[in-house]
Amino acid sequence: MTTLSSRAVAGALAGAAALFWLSPAFAHAVCGDRIFPATLAIDDPGVGDELALPTLTYLPMNSGGSQEFNATFSYTKTIFPNFGLSVQDGPTWQRPGGYGWESLNTEAKYNFLCIPEFEFMASVGTTVIWENTGTGTQTQPFNVYQPVLDVGKGFGDLPKSLNILRPFAVTAELSESLPSHAWTDGNTNSTNINWGFTVQYSLPYYNSNVGEIDNDFFKHLIPLAEFAFSKPISNFAPGPDVTTGTFQPGVIYMASTWQFALEAIVPINGASGHGVGVVGEMHFFFDDIFPDTLGKPISKWGQP
Amino acid sequence: MIRHSIIKIAASLAFALAATAAYAHAQLERATPSVGSTVASPAEIRLKFSEGVEPQFCTIALASEGGAAAPLGPPSVDPADNTVLIAKVGKTLPPGVYTVTWHAVSVDTHKTQGSFDFTVKP
Repeated sequence: MTTLSSRAVAGALAGAAALFWLSPAFAHAVCGDRIFPATLAIDDPGVGDELALPTLTYLPMNSGGSQEFNATFSYTKTIFPNFGLSVQDGPTWQRPGGYGWESLNTEAKYNFLCIPEFEFMASVGTTVIWENTGTGTQTQPFNVYQPVLDVGKGFGDLPKSLNILRPFAVTAELSESLPSHAWTDGNTNSTNINWGFTVQYSLPYYNSNVGEIDNDFFKHLIPLAEFAFSKPISNFAPGPDVTTGTFQPGVIYMASTWQFALEAIVPINGASGHGVGVVGEMHFFFDDIFPDTLGKPISKWGQP
Repeated sequence: MIRHSIIKIAASLAFALAATAAYAHAQLERATPSVGSTVASPAEIRLKFSEGVEPQFCTIALASEGGAAAPLGPPSVDPADNTVLIAKVGKTLPPGVYTVTWHAVSVDTHKTQGSFDFTVKP
């Protein structure tokens, strides 16, 4: 086994995604008839006890011009019903650049709204990327604070005459990245606004609510496309205020206690990278696997 | 050495997770009458879930296209399979479109819900 593959496996077994500004993949979320899966580039609007292990990302050329491989993990623990804390970390390899352990990424998130009849839910959170917790190429000498809004809407409330459209759902995310230091070694640390959305077509929803699917494999699939963008809005060096982002078409296989997601990563312009990358993630729903222990909130405070 | 230990620990965890006999949100796998189907008047509504369910906390309702409730017995589980929820239809249904609305509580208390239509042919 080569050094790279050994580390890759170690990372994979540690693993969840951190690519550019992308949020960690989090909970699947249930609101009314809709189950929103955990997505890779855009966080879903729910909060739950979950483990993404691993998330593996390969980019033939990232925005800095290096070939890149990430193998990361993400773990979310509910403290109260609808409120959870998460941690995300893992190693990154770049060529040229070398190896580095990513900065620790944490998030506190609260799911404040679910309207079952409209399959609509929303959450707010704050992510912190902690200074000096990374190593090597991933060293970052300042914190980044990131308030986040996540929303999701299923279209099951469309009239029955539009049955074929009812399995559609969209989720969206808006955040702002605020560095704790304006400058590092003479370089500006820009404030960025980040946004994106997903479009999903849930065959599990189709099977349960629209028409039976005979094939046991297809009835668990959710084809989707994710779009994630970022743009510096202040304190950036002259010139590079271009919007960067990715388009990520893919598919999720959702079982009862886990899901597997696989997506292509297509940069939207040269400033976002070159070539088509790929990201895959194994995701476990601890609320379903360990409902009486690890998978339930520490406190029932606030539970209706 | 540390790297290999991490690999072993994480691999063990991954296999343990994959092998855990878990419960989960009860998702509707199949129904009789089938979701979206056209059938003769059914004698019962039978819902096959991905997990075991607790019948005393589950509901099934049947309504005609105009919204009028059709007579339906209380839900119970198949004695041989607690993932199957059954409700007897109280009378022969006249032709038309009917909506089944269900709420399920799985054996680990997770709640799910859904609804679907079927058509009773003339």
